[in-house]
Amino acid sequence: MSALGGGSSGGDGINPTASVIAIVILLVAVGIVYVMYPAALFPLIGVIIGGALIAFGVHFVPVGGAPAAMGQAPGIATGVAMLAAGAGLAGLFGGAWAAHYGLWVALGAGAIGGALLMAITCLMVNVVYVYAMGIPAASGKVEKDPITGDTFPEYKSSGTEGHGLPFISYVGGVIGGLFGGFGGTLIYMEFLAVYEAGLPTVLMATPEEVVPIAVGLAGIFAVGLFLVNAVITAYNITGTIEGPHDPKFKRWPRAVIGAACASAVCGMFAILLVVV
Amino acid sequence: MEELLFGIGISALAGALATIAGAAEDTESDIGSQGDPNSQVQLAPQMGYVHRIYNKAISGEPPAYGLWVALAAGIAWALMAIQFNAVLALVLGSAVAVFVQGVYAVTAYLGRTSSLAKFEQPVYIDLLKSVTSVTMAHAFIAIFTCVTMCFLMIEALGHPFPLPLMGLIWGIALGAAGSATGNPFYGKERQYQKYKFGAGLPISASGDIVRYAEAGQRSSLDNGWFTSKGGGPASGICFGLIVFFELWRTILFEPVANGWGAIIAGVIIILVFMILDRYVESWARKTYGPYPTEEASS
Repeated sequence: MSALGGGSSGGDGINPTASVIAIVILLVAVGIVYVMYPAALFPLIGVIIGGALIAFGVHFVPVGGAPAAMGQAPGIATGVAMLAAGAGLAGLFGGAWAAHYGLWVALGAGAIGGALLMAITCLMVNVVYVYAMGIPAASGKVEKDPITGDTFPEYKSSGTEGHGLPFISYVGGVIGGLFGGFGGTLIYMEFLAVYEAGLPTVLMATPEEVVPIAVGLAGIFAVGLFLVNAVITAYNITGTIEGPHDPKFKRWPRAVIGAACASAVCGMFAILLVVV
Repeated sequence: MEELLFGIGISALAGALATIAGAAEDTESDIGSQGDPNSQVQLAPQMGYVHRIYNKAISGEPPAYGLWVALAAGIAWALMAIQFNAVLALVLGSAVAVFVQGVYAVTAYLGRTSSLAKFEQPVYIDLLKSVTSVTMAHAFIAIFTCVTMCFLMIEALGHPFPLPLMGLIWGIALGAAGSATGNPFYGKERQYQKYKFGAGLPISASGDIVRYAEAGQRSSLDNGWFTSKGGGPASGICFGLIVFFELWRTILFEPVANGWGAIIAGVIIILVFMILDRYVESWARKTYGPYPTEEASS
């Protein structure tokens, strides 16, 4: 039963037929790239891994949607895709800035950028709940916080499913930001590598001249792919989720398969449109 | 050394701009009921509570601000490309984006409110005239400060992204921070002010929003006045801290250990915020105590 009175739709299991179809589509996209532009094969695999990490990470982010805005349900009072995109794109900003230090530093900077946004946002959410609204944090899905051992039923106000951000949700938000920032930056770095290698031939320009175009294109396609994966995951979550302790968290394999398939197809177009 | 001090100064300036942007963004969205509490504004007439609250929610705050800031940044970028003065270009870009915001606000209010006609909810033309311009004014502040901050990140700090892409990214982050922090204060604390302080809203009370003010009916301007004292500044602090710490740790620590210094500094900052959060959570449990059970209160 959700805070809005409806049952939570969508099961937890994986549909085998749909999963096989998704994997076939993924393999076809990878095959097309291999045939048409073999140099982009490994970058495309990186894009797929990045998309899957984003989908996995979004499941950690505690999102309460509209019920959280009235203190009727725990989590952050905004949409799943919205918040995940905010964190992941802040990570992408940091990752792109550190790109000249190499792949691993950029990925680390991206992950920490996303986690930092979530750490500050989650803290301010609790500050508003506690100091401006006088409401303590309480989960509606578990009796006890798995990290701190705090009990929740007695701190849940009457007629609600809980409110605020318990510590497990806070940690979930930070982990979600880490995965989102890492995945988004990985996608950006892979696109950037492909464009920097391929654009000089396409545009008949020097490698230095194509850098601004490559950075802009890689950035906009990374943002686009981030939104695709965040929205697919939001559909998998169906509404709200409290974090890693929420029963809905178990649905992540389904979203990872869907996101990997979508990332493969979108990545294929993003690569072939520019360099072929 | 000079370069480092310049970078820290720009980080502080960008953080200050972000703080103003966050506060203006949340107040703008509360006046227009753009965040999640719009569900209650839309629900109220269906439960028999006709009201004079503005409702311009056509999308979530993050994509809306992503669009507006990217639009302002794109226009400013194009104007600068034809040798316009940067300040003038940023102002003109923000002004055009605000007109788009105004069109969205008007069409969203008319569309959403007229869809409630069968519940006898009127469309108030005077409301449209008085509130739209106020949301536009707040939106201008939010968009201009955010796009100026993006401009500083590129021109002064050397970020490689083009201005429109930077506007899209930070516009989405601005909306995410503002809606996450400010929505509960507007949704629970203002819309349901008549319910007990210190408790969440019972689900059965949904739709029963406060519709009357000290004199006459409550308007969305009253809501902006209220949230500008709580949710707005909190959203501003949230977005300001995000921008400041993101820039500060990079400027100061990136040269350390070939880029890893900024990452380690980020981890330490996150741990500090985590400890602060745990303190806030424990303080609330200890200070407020558990809710009385029904037997205890009767």
